[in-house]
Amino acid sequence: MADLQLDAVTKVFTERDGNEITAVDDVSLTIEDGEFLVLVGPSGCGKSTTLRMVAGLESISAGQVRLGDSVVNDSKPKDRNIAMVFQSYALYPHMTVRENMAFGLQESTAMPDDEIERTVASAADMLGIDDLLERKPDDLSGGQQQRVALGRAIVRDPEVFLLDEPLSNLDAKLRAQMRTELKRLQNDLDVATIYVTHDQTEAMTMADKIAILNDGELQQVGTPLECYHEPANLFVASFIGEPSMNFFDVTRDDSQLVHDHFRYDLSNETDDALADAHAELVLGVRPEDIALQSTADGAHTYATVVDVVEPMGNENNVYLTIGDEQTQTFVATVDGMHHVEAGETVYAHIPESAVHLFDRQSGRAMRNRTVESTTIPETKL
Amino acid sequence: MDSLRNSLRRLNPLSETATEQSQGTQTQGSLAGRLRDSDFVESMPFWLPPTLLVLLFVYGAIAWNVAISFTGWSGLGQPEYTDLSLEMYRQLPADQNFRASLWNTIVLLITFTGSSLVVGLGLALLVDRKIRFENTFRTIYLLPMALSFVVTAIFWSWMYARGGLINTTLEGIGLDWLAHNWIGDPQFKLAAVIVALIWQFSGYCMIVYLAGLRAIPNEHYEAARIDGASTLKLYWRVIIPQLRSSTIGAVVVLMVFALKAFDFIYVMFGTNPGRSVDILAVTMYREAFSSSQWAYGAAIAVVLFALALTIIGPYAYTQYKRGAL
Repeated sequence: MADLQLDAVTKVFTERDGNEITAVDDVSLTIEDGEFLVLVGPSGCGKSTTLRMVAGLESISAGQVRLGDSVVNDSKPKDRNIAMVFQSYALYPHMTVRENMAFGLQESTAMPDDEIERTVASAADMLGIDDLLERKPDDLSGGQQQRVALGRAIVRDPEVFLLDEPLSNLDAKLRAQMRTELKRLQNDLDVATIYVTHDQTEAMTMADKIAILNDGELQQVGTPLECYHEPANLFVASFIGEPSMNFFDVTRDDSQLVHDHFRYDLSNETDDALADAHAELVLGVRPEDIALQSTADGAHTYATVVDVVEPMGNENNVYLTIGDEQTQTFVATVDGMHHVEAGETVYAHIPESAVHLFDRQSGRAMRNRTVESTTIPETKL
Repeated sequence: MDSLRNSLRRLNPLSETATEQSQGTQTQGSLAGRLRDSDFVESMPFWLPPTLLVLLFVYGAIAWNVAISFTGWSGLGQPEYTDLSLEMYRQLPADQNFRASLWNTIVLLITFTGSSLVVGLGLALLVDRKIRFENTFRTIYLLPMALSFVVTAIFWSWMYARGGLINTTLEGIGLDWLAHNWIGDPQFKLAAVIVALIWQFSGYCMIVYLAGLRAIPNEHYEAARIDGASTLKLYWRVIIPQLRSSTIGAVVVLMVFALKAFDFIYVMFGTNPGRSVDILAVTMYREAFSSSQWAYGAAIAVVLFALALTIIGPYAYTQYKRGAL
């Protein structure tokens, strides 16, 4: 068992007309033994390419991939001791479940048949698919195929587990169930895992550590809560969290942030933190940090008009407009019992402790919300 | 429900009367009325004429041929349908020519089909490896398929001839002892025909296999590579088994063609190619149209038809069971 390290890994594709496209740009990551790393980002951000380079299905243009002490850049996939689960599962349709699971062991190890049989049986038992062993993939449901694909990876007893959007073909309910199951399974197996997804919910719920990619560049690596509460830049802030963080373009004027429709007073403390910042900023606040009240009491409270209410049962997403032209909308998440109607005027309170400020030009976070240090566990970076 | 109907009525005052009328015809429900309204009758003008034509000219002709084979019809007279017997079929097993041509037909069927599949698969696997000029190669390999059998038969007979391309080449590279009159020697005649047919049909097999290969997702190759399979094992255990339905489809087409590879042999050797390369289709033609043994020729045709059925029958049955027919 060993750590997996990506050191300044870069992938450049050359198009037919000679154009070069950098799909993955200088990505460095360390995945410790037993760690669950989720690689997340919008489609086309290079996350699958990164995974495929680790798998050996894609050549590496620059940088190194190290497994333990050895560089595996030029090793064939089978010599890397990895197992991969594909988005489409890639089960061999002409083989039974048992044959599918045994195939990797037959091809890559000298394991005797009876031992292969036992390994397959125990993996099937672990995944609850022992009664499906004689079936063909086409006779299985999506969830069952998914388990078989996992089983095929597990039997290999790999040093690194690679999962490429493994849950994206399942329906919502099954996906939620498999999330928990996968997480538990990974805990039991205690194998370094890279999990690629575009779904930030999967990233938040499953990861020990999230790596967020955009345009081939690594945006932030951290625990889910770090990425949520202390986003490194605008992209991370907008990508993580559902509904997304609200953003307001503001200009700093002494100790005030000036928006077209409101002014936001800053405390001395915040003002100091912004000493070196540009005047052009973006104010960000998470929907759940906005409180709705019926009176205009207190500082940082603004009159808004309710545009749309999305009841979720446990909470309501309230879309609000601010200003006369109703050009700026934002969303607040309030308790499900809190009754508001479209067209109503309510007062939104944006507490200063929950405010994020980003440099508008570079997108870099200048100030993140204050969090009591005990709520975020220590990261092992 | 009522409120819905009312609101509909408000939207369209005509709908009410329309509903009443349609209910009226339904309650009449006479057999004639039902028939007139059924899809079956309404669609008749479209399917009935071609069905009748096919019944008459395909199945009618087959039935008539079977009927003729039970008569003793020969020469210039008319067939007598009053005195039917299995006499013609009784003669078949004793006929040395028939036995030879049945044997040749089976040999041709198996070796031609098998070899074409193997060559076609090989070509398909090579062309599928994302090579340069893939389209050009595909066209080159498929081109023989587009040629008329008469054309191929003629130019292969030139190639096989004494001063032909094959013998000249063999002599040119110092293999004089291999030079041979390929289509003159009974030992090689059938083989020469089979080789020419393989040349013409392996391109077809390649296309069928190529379509099959394209349907296999890339992940299967990648998964197999991660599973540690060598290129050979990858194809042998993961890819080729997935080409089963392509193979079955191609086998049926090739075998049916092999059974009626008449024009090829007729052009190369005429109606009397000799026992070594006689096939049932040629024997049938010779008996019927050269020797005027109409009934005997018809009997051979029935044997040929039975052979074709034994090939297509299982295929049609499995397709039917899988709901593909």
